[in-house]
Amino acid sequence: MWRRSASFILDDERRRTSDSPPMAADNTTTARAPFQNPDAISAYYQTRAAHHGVITSDWLAQAQAAVGGVSGEEHPDSSAAELGKEKTFNVIEEFNGWRKQPDLAEAVAAIRALAAVIRASEASTMMELEIELKKASDTLKLWDKTSISLTAGCDLFIRYVTRTSALEYEDFNSAKSRLLERAEKFGEISCKARKIIAMLSQDFIFDGCTILVHGLSRVVLEILKTAAQNNKLFRVLCTEGRPDGTGVLLSNELSKLDVPVKLLLDSAVAYSMDEVDMVFVGADGVVESGGIINMMGTYQIALVAHSMNKPVYVAAESYKFARLYPLDQKDMAPALRPIEFGVKIPAKVEVEMSARDYTPPQYLTLLFTDLGVLSPSVVSDELIQLYL
Amino acid sequence: MPDVQSMVLEFVNKLRKRKIEGSQATARCTVELLRSVISHHRVPHHANQASALIDAVKAVGAQLVAANPVELAVGNVVRRVLHIIREEDLSLATAAVAGLDLLDASDDDEDVNGKGIGYTAMSAAVVAAAARSTLRPPSLQTLLEGTPESATVPYTSSSGADSESKTADKSSITRKLKHDVIEGVNQLIHEIAGCHEQIAEQAIEHIHQNEVILTLGSSRTVLEFLCAAKEKKRSFRVFVAEGAPRYQGHLLAKELVARGLQTTVITDSAVFAMISRVNMVIIGAHAVMANGGVIGPVGVNMAALAAKKHAVPFVVLAGSHKLCPLYPHNPEVLLNELRSPSELLDFGEFSDCLDFGSGSGSPLLQVVNPTFDYVPPSLVSLFITDTGGHIPSYMYRLIADYYSADDLVM
Repeated sequence: MWRRSASFILDDERRRTSDSPPMAADNTTTARAPFQNPDAISAYYQTRAAHHGVITSDWLAQAQAAVGGVSGEEHPDSSAAELGKEKTFNVIEEFNGWRKQPDLAEAVAAIRALAAVIRASEASTMMELEIELKKASDTLKLWDKTSISLTAGCDLFIRYVTRTSALEYEDFNSAKSRLLERAEKFGEISCKARKIIAMLSQDFIFDGCTILVHGLSRVVLEILKTAAQNNKLFRVLCTEGRPDGTGVLLSNELSKLDVPVKLLLDSAVAYSMDEVDMVFVGADGVVESGGIINMMGTYQIALVAHSMNKPVYVAAESYKFARLYPLDQKDMAPALRPIEFGVKIPAKVEVEMSARDYTPPQYLTLLFTDLGVLSPSVVSDELIQLYL
Repeated sequence: MPDVQSMVLEFVNKLRKRKIEGSQATARCTVELLRSVISHHRVPHHANQASALIDAVKAVGAQLVAANPVELAVGNVVRRVLHIIREEDLSLATAAVAGLDLLDASDDDEDVNGKGIGYTAMSAAVVAAAARSTLRPPSLQTLLEGTPESATVPYTSSSGADSESKTADKSSITRKLKHDVIEGVNQLIHEIAGCHEQIAEQAIEHIHQNEVILTLGSSRTVLEFLCAAKEKKRSFRVFVAEGAPRYQGHLLAKELVARGLQTTVITDSAVFAMISRVNMVIIGAHAVMANGGVIGPVGVNMAALAAKKHAVPFVVLAGSHKLCPLYPHNPEVLLNELRSPSELLDFGEFSDCLDFGSGSGSPLLQVVNPTFDYVPPSLVSLFITDTGGHIPSYMYRLIADYYSADDLVM
């Protein structure tokens, strides 16, 4: 009743799920109900937390369940199996397997999972293969609605498959092997993308500058590593990044490179903003307006930086561009993660568990992508070229 | 070709000594020089002529840019010429490939590409598609395609097919490329020369009756713009900020009065005082960067800030040779030039303060005389180029039209 939002759709959904009780009869809805329920934990942010080595309460619960002899899969996986298709079960398992590797980008994991679908497929025509892929991609997307890279990666691959089949190959097997080859190559492309972004942003880091970093983005880390290797003199202020503790991890990495690092409380950003020359953040997703979706706290920092005329630079690979257009902070699928306060909080007290926020394009200065340096308005152009 | 070499060296010298004033003159001289470089360049018949031309132009271009890195028009024009070469080559390649459709190309040539045998038409379409994708800057569409291999495809297929049949055809293609490129370059020269008229044509839409316009320093584009509006019988007044220390605003004021416009001269410091009485600020740019930022004569940043504060539209006039595809990372320092302090202070009077011999060896009095100012894109309301009016966030589109991504680093 307190909510007053521009996102009518989300409000409607919430009202609907709270009014009608979840139907236990249908297999498919039991598979989906946990995700439409706003208390669902976002798998994407769980994985990020796992990469960062953060032990959360629900991770512990899972670990205990696994040890306790219950089938090691989480609840969603088993209900996905109930959907009846052997293939979809494999897709999600495969995807989870790839996703667990800390150095692999989310979209790469998604495309590898789809490549596994192609390999395991028994289709004999392109059309059949496309349909299978589409189904697998839909399942993946449904399984984790909060991961934008996953959605974008799947869409990109499906789009590529659709276009390739229309082109040259008469022979189905050579087309299939080519698709597999490109899917494998995508991992390389992703790595190359990070290197390109690092190269593009070198000019913007000058000697004696102070960089504020929020969150632990592998792309931003690559940028800072390259700058350190080029013997640039700079220092980094990193925010603590509760509850993931990204600040400490980042400062560990940077001190290995002999870069002077200073840790800040998340609330100390405005206090230190006057000594900052630029802000570098990564992105979980880049939306159509040119804004970004990133770890909670990014919007705050962008607002402060904007009010003090400091540039905010975003480093994101191009496959993170998504066809979303959030109108406000709550206009996205909720992505929640558990937050530890260290002390017991009374049961009646609510906690804001959202893992991410949306930063509108007017607070961003430039985006460094593997397509080049872009201003936020160029993003929609790229998306239009691809999808329309 | 020694003739061309000496021309290049002479031009490099002129650029280094800052003998050429103004971006339009510089752009024009650069294009004419590149035209002679291209027409004198002996293209090899057997290999890829386009890349030979591109390398030649790039070599000369790198020299020119190094001679005067602050004059961005030089780099812009070199990149335009490179883009023209690539475009002409592409259109020739697609035309040649369309011609190949009718030939019975031998199968062993096709096997080089590793594609299916016997489907000439389909492979030709693939070749054309691949060739098209090599010209486009990297985009989401081509992300999964892996362009490096496909880049070699058009050239191997066309040279493979031609070697067995018409060699006469091949040499005509050679001549055609150079011819097309020279034609394109001539068009570019024409465009650069005519940019003032194109921009002035749009004056009537932006300047209305009984308006007060503020301008700073002296720009030929602004002069033509204002006079064009005057020709169409609009009556308006102009405030000219004098543009210290060169006081070129005085010259502009004189010209405007000669054409019958009511003019007022003010000092640069009076801009904030007078801005509330002004309807529009019109400035000529030295260069426009890819993010929509403007490099202009010193003092425009102040005028832009004043305009923002009082919600006065800030309009920038720029010919297309001023559009630069680079993003500025430290424009106040890297894209600026410090001129002689004598423009500010008289050496005679201040000789004791500026003397290096006195005291510790470095003078206590320093004089800084920057030439340019950087205006961030958020302060600009509208750009008027020879193609029309655009907002700052649209500049990347024009840049994508005029330049290729491969030419950004020379």
